Amino acid sequence: MPWISKEREERIKNRYKDVNIIRYEHAVSFEVGKDAFKDFLKYLKDEEGFKHFVDLTCIDFPDRDERFQGVYTLYNPDYNERVIVKTWAHNGRLPTVTDLWPGAKWGEREAYDMFGVEFEGHENLKRMFLWEGYPHFPLRKDFPLEGYKEEELPSLTEVLAGREDPPSHDFELVHTKIATLEDIERTERARLKKKAQLVLNWGPLHPGTHGTIWFLFDLEGEEVVQCDVILGQLHRGMEKIAEHLHYFQFLPYTDRMDYISAICNELSYVQAVEKLLGIEVPEKAKYIRTMFAELQRINSHLLWLGTGALDLGALTVFLYAFREREKIMDIIEGNAGYRLTTAFLRIGGVHYDLAEGTLDVVKAFVKDFYGRLKEYHSLLTRNRIWLRRTKDKGIITKEDVHAYGLSGPVARGSGVPYDLRKLEPYAAYDEVDFDIPVGEVGDVYDRYLVRMEEMVQSLRIIEQCVEKLEKLPKSAPYINKKHPAVMSPKQDVFHDLEDMVKNFRIVVHGEEAPPGEVFSSAENPRGELGFFIHSKGDSRPYRLRIRSGALYNLSIFPKLIQGGSIADAIALLGSLDPVVGETDR
Amino acid sequence: MIIDVLIALGKIAVVLLVGLGLGAYLTWVERKVAGHIQARMGPSVVGPFGLFQPIADGVKLVTKESIIPRGADVPVYYLALILALVPSFLIFSVVPFGPSFTVFGREIKPIISDVNIGLLIVFAMGSIAVYGTIFAGWASNSKYAFIGSLRKAAVIVSYEVVLGFAVLGVILIAGSLSTVEIVNSQIEKGIWYIVYQPVAFILYLFCMLAESGRVPFDIQEAEAELVTGYNVEYGGMRFGLFPLAEWYLNVVGLSAIAVVLFFGGWSGPHIFGPLSPYIWFLVKTFALVFFTLWLHWTLPRFQAKDITDIAWKILLPIALLNVVVTAFVVYLFS
Repeated sequence: MPWISKEREERIKNRYKDVNIIRYEHAVSFEVGKDAFKDFLKYLKDEEGFKHFVDLTCIDFPDRDERFQGVYTLYNPDYNERVIVKTWAHNGRLPTVTDLWPGAKWGEREAYDMFGVEFEGHENLKRMFLWEGYPHFPLRKDFPLEGYKEEELPSLTEVLAGREDPPSHDFELVHTKIATLEDIERTERARLKKKAQLVLNWGPLHPGTHGTIWFLFDLEGEEVVQCDVILGQLHRGMEKIAEHLHYFQFLPYTDRMDYISAICNELSYVQAVEKLLGIEVPEKAKYIRTMFAELQRINSHLLWLGTGALDLGALTVFLYAFREREKIMDIIEGNAGYRLTTAFLRIGGVHYDLAEGTLDVVKAFVKDFYGRLKEYHSLLTRNRIWLRRTKDKGIITKEDVHAYGLSGPVARGSGVPYDLRKLEPYAAYDEVDFDIPVGEVGDVYDRYLVRMEEMVQSLRIIEQCVEKLEKLPKSAPYINKKHPAVMSPKQDVFHDLEDMVKNFRIVVHGEEAPPGEVFSSAENPRGELGFFIHSKGDSRPYRLRIRSGALYNLSIFPKLIQGGSIADAIALLGSLDPVVGETDR
Repeated sequence: MIIDVLIALGKIAVVLLVGLGLGAYLTWVERKVAGHIQARMGPSVVGPFGLFQPIADGVKLVTKESIIPRGADVPVYYLALILALVPSFLIFSVVPFGPSFTVFGREIKPIISDVNIGLLIVFAMGSIAVYGTIFAGWASNSKYAFIGSLRKAAVIVSYEVVLGFAVLGVILIAGSLSTVEIVNSQIEKGIWYIVYQPVAFILYLFCMLAESGRVPFDIQEAEAELVTGYNVEYGGMRFGLFPLAEWYLNVVGLSAIAVVLFFGGWSGPHIFGPLSPYIWFLVKTFALVFFTLWLHWTLPRFQAKDITDIAWKILLPIALLNVVVTAFVVYLFS
């Protein structure tokens, strides 16, 4: 990641004398005192051009007096520089930054939910994922991984059989707390105070929400007066889980975040760990990663296209999109062994070499897909009804893109060329040729066009990857097994004692990471997926923060939909394209 | 006298049975058509070519548990069903399927009742049908159903007006409201009225789609927003009756009326022997039905306010203009 330049750093240092600079190779942070904090952020935003909000989180250090450290990641779009600002909480309190970046609203609520840090001045500091009245703060270090077991939940069959003790099954009766109906009602009321005629619930299960999100619409007729979103039905506490796992063990969990683009998630995570451990990746693996990430991007955009059109009543596009998706799934299945949650990448390379014939199939797919894209265009792009439903709906301004930390096609639809594949080329993206499509107006239609064009660009990238992979010899390494922290492929383990011992050591003791920090992100189909790893020199991360593109993209929804109708809401939601596995993590 | 009653009852029985059977089998046709449009097979397991699928569906729907939501207005809840189904059947009472013929010296008209206000009955039934939707939405005690039914009401109110004015042109030319008379006048003149009234036909098509709640006007269902809208709280065959009435009977009925108004009814070359008028009539009707299905599986859906917008701001002025021009021309040439 291009981090803040030395000159700028000097300039800031001259102005703010007591700012502490911590420079790692892949994360540069300023540590600021409490009093100068807001002033410092304002200065960074207004005068140094760090106007794009990337992420906000906390780290818990229980042995320190202040205990919680706030971590703010910012980005300067003019000079392509990134910086992290840190500050210590006082008595568990931090000042809010929502007046500078409204996109911090949900981030602060999440930090409050997980750490119990209160943000002074936040307009509605309620829990983000857990329900109102939940007594604990799960990401604190003193919260055990398995939770506090405090509620008895007997087996239903045992209750029905009238048996009391001892339980016949070998399972625990005492569990962690679950939300009761009263809890959920309290949560709902805390989120939205009814102002208009009727409150319409979408969710937690609703065909229009593409997952278990819960929308509350306060309606005046069909006009939305206010709206709020209740997330957390799919919250699994991945960040907590990661703190208790070796680095390689967390990889399959990333598949389950944005389950539609699993390989892209893996790529983002694997890169963050590789940066932390200093692992070089062989060329072949880079190209395989790029090719599969782009296939996955097409796959994901096809799902968006199909469901987005389905939401607006075009039923046929859905099945056409799934027909092509199936082919991609087939290619992925043939190489990774799985269709959805692939676990295909490895730290230091990829799990398997390319399966025989893969490149031919990919070539055939690419050749066929150009025509299919034309078919989708002819069904929708110039369709009067489609235009009426999407044009000038849900317009996102460039300022909002920066203030809300939007990324991916949502940012590019508004004309902000924020694409990490170009800004910070990873894998083989610096060696292939492609363009970034951007929109002009920033409405639903522009986001539609941007995604459609991105599929074409993905095809271009895939073609170049295939060309390169065809030239590479079959014996070229696809994993950097020389590195001590990279596990050897299975076939070597069975024949080579050294490899076996190394793998045994990694599986038992994990990778030894140096102390330090890494913030690394990748361009996912749903926006920027970032991993912030704070390592204390253990085989497990001390804190692993997942910056979800889908969550930040969704956070602008309540603002955009005000004054629209619920028919607009469905079009808008489709164009923001959240996946609940990633928003909730 | 008794024989007249018996003949009338016989005609009603034929239309009812054929109507219900058609409705059921149109579901099969629709699923097959949709399947082939969408690059899949459609029903293929139950019976040859999946032909017994509607029967299987019917058995399933009939044997389902009846669930009525708490707080529902039960009499209105059932009244909604009747008000949805009956008007769509009553449209068929003025549909002439062919020319009159004589059996044992008695003239039989293949139409249930050849009244001289046939078209008015069609409009009236179209207006009554909306009560089914509104009652269903109101009685279900559900917000989705309620919003869906309100949308439908808004649509029907605006398209009733357009429909009336669109058809007025044909009535002016034919000089009659009776469906049989309209067909006969087309046969006499040797020309279909679509030639004189192409604008009216297009307007009629819009109204037909809006009244029957087909894409792109299926906003009262809008499964993505409203989870199928007004009928969401109905289960089993109660649920099945709404699409049967709206999507199938209404579409067939209104297509038949369109054939009467614009395509010369049963007229056509006598190439199928004595049955040819009936065959022509059915062929024309189902061509229109197929067109509706085709649209349904191709287009996205409008938004409620767009639909009413189009009706009042675009379609209605065009319809009025059409009526005025037609009236002038008819006055000058007669």
